[in-house]
Amino acid sequence: MSEMEDSQSLTVERDQAGVIVVHGDVDVAGGPILEAALLNGPSDSQVIIDLGDVFFIDSSGLRCLLGVSRRAHEQGTNVVLRHVGNEVLRLLQITGTTDQFSIEDGRG
Amino acid sequence: MADPLNSMIGPVLIRLPPTPALSRVLRLAASGIAAMAGFTVDETEDIKIAVSEVWLALIEHGGGEPIEVQFSVQDHVFMVRGQAAFGGFDVDHPDLALCRTVLAGVCTQHGIELVDDHAQIWAAVAHASIT
Repeated sequence: MSEMEDSQSLTVERDQAGVIVVHGDVDVAGGPILEAALLNGPSDSQVIIDLGDVFFIDSSGLRCLLGVSRRAHEQGTNVVLRHVGNEVLRLLQITGTTDQFSIEDGRG
Repeated sequence: MADPLNSMIGPVLIRLPPTPALSRVLRLAASGIAAMAGFTVDETEDIKIAVSEVWLALIEHGGGEPIEVQFSVQDHVFMVRGQAAFGGFDVDHPDLALCRTVLAGVCTQHGIELVDDHAQIWAAVAHASIT
């Protein structure tokens, strides 16, 4: 697993299967880190983001995810959110953006 | 034993430079105050989101000025108020739409205003027993 970005609040890694694994808070500090990491990935394949270690997200983080989703749709693919916890799910529901993503599994 | 939700806390005033990473500091402070006041875990999560939205909006639209954030609990309501001395604050900026949607979802009341050349954002989260 190679580390792509690092900070005190958020780290983003891409595992051997190409899944983007996020650890930390996706807020005004972490959102740009996630966005930069996502922009560095291949643009023509399905984006899978593992949010199992994300316990806080605000609208800046959601804006980042929605941007990736929009670009994916333009490429004819989609964004899969994996291991989504209640914190992320609640924000998606509040904003009515759940249908912008394929949600595979809960955090469990 | 006194009911913590009947107690008044604050106002607690925090003045910070507009540094994004300090969002966590504010959420931690808000969580502590919410716990002292007897808010539930779910209500505290909503409070953390509200605090983060206030901070985010002032970071992105507060003109780079220092930000004052005030927490208080009164009459079973957690209130967060943030302000920055920035007369150019555009309350109708399109980027604030998502912030408004989130605040509407987690708060009982909120406001995004320009008052006396200050960008002001406030949000109130009430304890479930009085909503």
